[in-house]
Amino acid sequence: MHSRWAKTLLSLPPAVYLLLFFALPSLMMLFASFRYPGDYGGLAPWYFLEDGELTLELTLENWQRLFESTIYLGLLLKSVGFALLTTAICALMAYPLALTIARSPKKNRDLLLLLVILPFWSNFLVRIYAWMIIFSPQGALTAGINQLSALFGLEPINLMFSSTAVITCLVYVHLPFMVLPLYANLEKHDKALLDAAQDLGASRARRFWLITWPLSLPGLYAGAVLVFIPSLGIFAIPDLLGGTNGIMIGNVIKQQFVEARDWPFGSVLSLVLTAITLILVILAGRLGRTPGAAK
Amino acid sequence: MKNNKLLLTATVLVYLFLYIPLLVVMLFSFNDSRLNAEWVGFTFKWYGQLFGNAEMLRAALNSLIIASVSALLSGTLGTLAGVAMHRFRQKWLSALVLGPVAMPDILIGVSLLLMFMLFNVTLGATSIILAHVSFSIGFVALAVQSRMAGMDDSLLEAARDLGATPWQSFRLVTLPLLLPGIVAGMMMAFTLSIDDFVVTFFTAGVGSTTLPLEIYSMVKIAVTPEVNAVSTLLMLLTLVLITALSRFSPQTLRS
Amino acid sequence: MKKLLGCLLVIAGTTGLAPLAAADKVLHLFNWNDYIADETVTRFQKQCNCKVVQDYFSSTEEMMAKLLAGGGDYDVVIPTQNAVEALVKQNFLMALDKSKLGNMTNMAAGFMNKAYDPGNAYSLPYAFTTTLIGYNESRITELGIDPADWSIIFDPAVLEKIKGKVTVMDDSEELFAAAMKYLGYSANDTNEQHLKDAQAVILKAKPYWAAFNSSSYIKELTVGNVWVAHGYSSDMFQARADAKEANRDFSVNFVLPAQGAVLALDNMVVPNKARNPILAHEFINFMMAPENAAELSNIVGTGNPNASAKAYIDDEILAISAIFPSQEQLATLETISARKSKERRFISRLWTEVKVR
Repeated sequence: MHSRWAKTLLSLPPAVYLLLFFALPSLMMLFASFRYPGDYGGLAPWYFLEDGELTLELTLENWQRLFESTIYLGLLLKSVGFALLTTAICALMAYPLALTIARSPKKNRDLLLLLVILPFWSNFLVRIYAWMIIFSPQGALTAGINQLSALFGLEPINLMFSSTAVITCLVYVHLPFMVLPLYANLEKHDKALLDAAQDLGASRARRFWLITWPLSLPGLYAGAVLVFIPSLGIFAIPDLLGGTNGIMIGNVIKQQFVEARDWPFGSVLSLVLTAITLILVILAGRLGRTPGAAK
Repeated sequence: MKNNKLLLTATVLVYLFLYIPLLVVMLFSFNDSRLNAEWVGFTFKWYGQLFGNAEMLRAALNSLIIASVSALLSGTLGTLAGVAMHRFRQKWLSALVLGPVAMPDILIGVSLLLMFMLFNVTLGATSIILAHVSFSIGFVALAVQSRMAGMDDSLLEAARDLGATPWQSFRLVTLPLLLPGIVAGMMMAFTLSIDDFVVTFFTAGVGSTTLPLEIYSMVKIAVTPEVNAVSTLLMLLTLVLITALSRFSPQTLRS
Repeated sequence: MKKLLGCLLVIAGTTGLAPLAAADKVLHLFNWNDYIADETVTRFQKQCNCKVVQDYFSSTEEMMAKLLAGGGDYDVVIPTQNAVEALVKQNFLMALDKSKLGNMTNMAAGFMNKAYDPGNAYSLPYAFTTTLIGYNESRITELGIDPADWSIIFDPAVLEKIKGKVTVMDDSEELFAAAMKYLGYSANDTNEQHLKDAQAVILKAKPYWAAFNSSSYIKELTVGNVWVAHGYSSDMFQARADAKEANRDFSVNFVLPAQGAVLALDNMVVPNKARNPILAHEFINFMMAPENAAELSNIVGTGNPNASAKAYIDDEILAISAIFPSQEQLATLETISARKSKERRFISRLWTEVKVR
């Protein structure tokens, strides 16, 4: 039934495509990280053939540059911090939402879920733009906050072009990614467990912490991965809302490839980001199989 | 009781958080002022300007073409991958297919730019399509795979017992049953392609601007409420698409 | 379900044909944003019976990146003089067919046959701008700050009063040039220690700046979000006009700093891979006609290298020294020369560090 050629016929086309357009570019990037940048950008040739003599133009200096000063690793750390903060806030906001939807009557659930997904289906840039409007120095929010802070004698603040703006928007854009896996997990919880606990006299709080919370952890991890990894590589949000200080590793990668045209160094940074992502994905896979997880 | 009220309030607040920014965008698309700061008056002029904006219309057309081709291509390749992944459980295929889904967009965009440049490929609509397909295959495959997992194998057994060849049983039993999953995956690929910004940013060429790139350039440079108008229209379009999808096959929304 | 697939195929098929029909007579123009008037474009479209598709860039680095990353099939590009030199060196440009460019005689001799392109083999001057300070007149006078000095964006003592209300260009060449001028060095000075000093100046001032912005600072100034912006004279001219038109309770003005600034001469070039070189030449010749060239000054607010156009330019614009600098001011202005790759890479590294710190 599962003849050899059926196997090949099915898996070969997508495999070839992805080898060509996913695996190969990644390998080329690895190779590019050891080359010199071209005079006017891009990559310099990696070998010279003069009079039959082959000289290789490869170098470690791009990788060395990563560790020369602490700023790049510092930026990576900062980006990880931003992504962690975003994930934490998303978890905090998504949990009550997912819980409410999971507990509501079946007929309402689809609608409530749809309402969560709907904003996500609007264009990514529109969602950023919305926050540019809300945070604008001439806007009502800033005016309101500053009027309030003036009552306390505090200096007027600017919401736009700050780390706060970046985190808020990051949370906004990634919230549905946290809600959905969490909901998928919570929906499967066996109500009988909670009923039994109630019969045994456990309070609401205890029922939550001892039953619901541990069972929901795999869903939480799944959501965390879905929020953390994309947040790490993002550049549009810090670009538009971050100002001079709110930039993340994605911005520097973009800058290397677009403005500075130092592709070898850009490759180095990208590879580091890839490595971090891979480690996290593997870790998440392991953590997702915690003992006592819901079916 | 008190716990419930707290939960309910939290839920409502989060929903508000999700919707207020979008409502602000929509509201100001009708505002008679170049600023998105205070309400001045009601007008449709930004929508009017939008339809006269040749660049925007061209970008919209590009987006539609690219998304359609990408959906078709990734639909085909993704279905094959999804079936293979479900049937044969090859770890390497899963890694290859789902890799682009797991990676941050910027890495895909940047590595493809590198490769295209090194192979002297002129960037354009083709390069964008090739890039979009690479990450869309995974989504189609996931949709197809989950559909297959929920499929009743006994139907296939029955077909085999009745003398159908593997190809016949695939064509006449499996494929029709899979179709909702395939279509859902393709619609997902279509939406991902239309909405994509980062990967397109790095792989677009001359004259192949897509709608998100055009919006980005408007947001960075021009920022008139035309942006609000196009955003509102896009949201309405997606609402229509989603409603159609939910009528069409409600359970595919869940996957 | 099958119907849906069929629909998608039909859509793909029909929409696929539409752009093919339109590709007949299209000029792809790659230009600085806000650097050509809509009226000029419309008039050209009528004259050539073609469509003009514009793509924009807001810094030389951005333009070079796009061109060299496989985007080389624009018909006409408007690079600054140092970029022209780099592009010529890389054999990226098509030699101009002078027989199609009769209006060349209109150009002022002082702008022709320069070192970056001897004999104007590959480029013809388009417009020139200075990079200077645009500011919110009411606020800055209120605070008693002198805007005609680079200290307004570099001196922490001054920045203290306008914290968060300043934007600088997101352009390594322009910002470093400004910092060098502030320190009293030449903008083309390649001494590594001097450049590091300039970087130090930039880093000290960075916490006070709102953002690095080369594209929307016109709007930020006009709206009042920002009180000081580092940018091009043509953009500031438009910001001033916009603020007046919007009836703001403040006015926007612009001025050349005393320590000197950068003068940029932008040119029209045709890439080798241009899809429609004939149309490209037609456009270049069109832009050298005095009425069309004059619109660059009158509407966009640029300096004009076209001698015959002078007759068509408004007197009040000719009088603005930031746009048409006087002889004494010209002495303080410098054009940025093309950098050697080693210098380019050094500055590029310093710039990355500026962004990251």
